[in-house]
Amino acid sequence: MQNTTERTGAIAGYYEGLAAGLFRAIVCKSCGSHTFPPTGCCEHCGSWDVEPVELSGDATLLFATHNISPACHPRFEKIAPYVYGHLRLKEGPIVQAIILGVDATPGDLQRLFERGPVPAKAETLQMDDLPVLAFRISN
Amino acid sequence: MRNKLREQVVISGVGCSRFGNLLETPEIKGMSIQELTASAVKEALDDAGLTGQDVDAVFAGNAMVHSSQVPGTYSQLSKWTGTQFKAGVHFEAQCSTTNVGAAMAAMAIAAGVYDTVLVYGLETTRTKVKGHSPYEREPISHQQTWLWTDMAVNQAYGVPQGYDIFSTYNGLVALGYCRKHGISIEDFDRGMFEVCRTRRLHGSMNPKANIQEKLEDRAARDGFGDPFGYWQSEEHNPFVAWPSRLLSLVTTADGASAMVITRADLAKGGRSRPVELKGFGVSYSDLPWYGEDPTFWEFDKRAIDAAFDMAGITAADIGYLHTHDCSHISGICTAETIGYLEAGKGLDAAREGRLRFDGDRPMSTHGGRHAFGHAWGASAGTDTYEAVLQMRGQAGPRQIPKVPDISVIHTHGYAMIGTVIVLGSL
Ligand SMILES: [Zn+2]
Repeated sequence: MQNTTERTGAIAGYYEGLAAGLFRAIVCKSCGSHTFPPTGCCEHCGSWDVEPVELSGDATLLFATHNISPACHPRFEKIAPYVYGHLRLKEGPIVQAIILGVDATPGDLQRLFERGPVPAKAETLQMDDLPVLAFRISN
Repeated sequence: MRNKLREQVVISGVGCSRFGNLLETPEIKGMSIQELTASAVKEALDDAGLTGQDVDAVFAGNAMVHSSQVPGTYSQLSKWTGTQFKAGVHFEAQCSTTNVGAAMAAMAIAAGVYDTVLVYGLETTRTKVKGHSPYEREPISHQQTWLWTDMAVNQAYGVPQGYDIFSTYNGLVALGYCRKHGISIEDFDRGMFEVCRTRRLHGSMNPKANIQEKLEDRAARDGFGDPFGYWQSEEHNPFVAWPSRLLSLVTTADGASAMVITRADLAKGGRSRPVELKGFGVSYSDLPWYGEDPTFWEFDKRAIDAAFDMAGITAADIGYLHTHDCSHISGICTAETIGYLEAGKGLDAAREGRLRFDGDRPMSTHGGRHAFGHAWGASAGTDTYEAVLQMRGQAGPRQIPKVPDISVIHTHGYAMIGTVIVLGSL
């Protein structure tokens, strides 16, 4: 019998998770790797045998640059230019996201670059119409 | 996979429009998208000594249908190109479109299905249909261009959460390159200036390029005696994703390109010298495009390896290289991954003039995505067009002195499909 119970799709579930401060992914029962953000299939081995998991939000910020103003997407016009970074999550996945805790100026970004990789913590950034993933670094 | 073509396949004709703006640029001003495409197709068919009725199939490429508004392109363009009643398909691989089309044509020919295939690509990234007019066009805003273009990028999680091309394709790659190779931001900036200066030099020698003004002349027009002063001015060349600046990027364009692909034995005695399509490789990836090291892109490496294996070449055989250079630093990284440039030395090579048409590592002699300009689905065909001209010795003032026997063309179809094709002299 097909399960006909209404369910939340992976994409809606991810953003609903963000609204509640949760960072939802899937983990593969076949190879043990994480896929983040979540789909219905392991991005590493192609297995469909996956289950939902929540990530810690602990990360290392590897590099940080900034976007342009006005932003390419109207959702981000209010905060542009914003800092955008390349991170490695504690659980393994590589992620790019908005970075909080540093200004989008060449001077601040150069000082950050010279510090090398720094710890970062995921948080939810509430835009007008959507909660989005961001990471905060401390000085 | 066997990764072999069972029959020798050649490019027997190439064509390409002027790149620019259908509302402004003299050679194409006032053209419809149908006429723009037909001009490139006519040049390619004339070059091959054929008409549209001589081909078996037509692969019609167009990525951003929002601005072109000609889906079902094969039939809508058929009476403009003389190709009624042919087999055909409208397809896209974004900015790799036309070269993926060349690969599909080679497969169809080597499989014994078709003898001759016409591949063309058309795109308008500067102008769009005005209202419901059949012929009037209007400019596209910067934000609209990226909203439409970025529809090819992860729409579940990437674009909705702040992705933009400037950070991911430029700034983060630049920082990865500097840290990996111990290059200062100052040296990086100087190197990027030289890459831009070289591409603009090439554009200045190409009557089909979007920008035909040398960087030095552009700087002088605004009173800068030293072009590096112009480069560093916030007004003229702002950071779009620190440490990457505006002039290290793509410029948008309206344009079209075309090529005729056929069996090698059928091209003998044709109108122009055919060039062999020796091999190709294609590999795609969703975001993120790279792991911890922003300078190494796994899907590109796979496409490169597949193409070189099919063609039976190594990097040492390459006489001319184009790598996708919407982002100049990404294009340098790809050239290093290919092995055409030494790892970490790409910007030094630019400063030494080695990437110029008359240098020992010539690259992107048409001007690349910055100077030649970028019309997404049409651009890969312009890269192939340039390589064919160079291999025939027909590139005029920008001709590479040692006519290349092997050319390699790499393109990134947003976002991302790494595509590599290898061309060889017969
Ligand atoms: Zn797996």
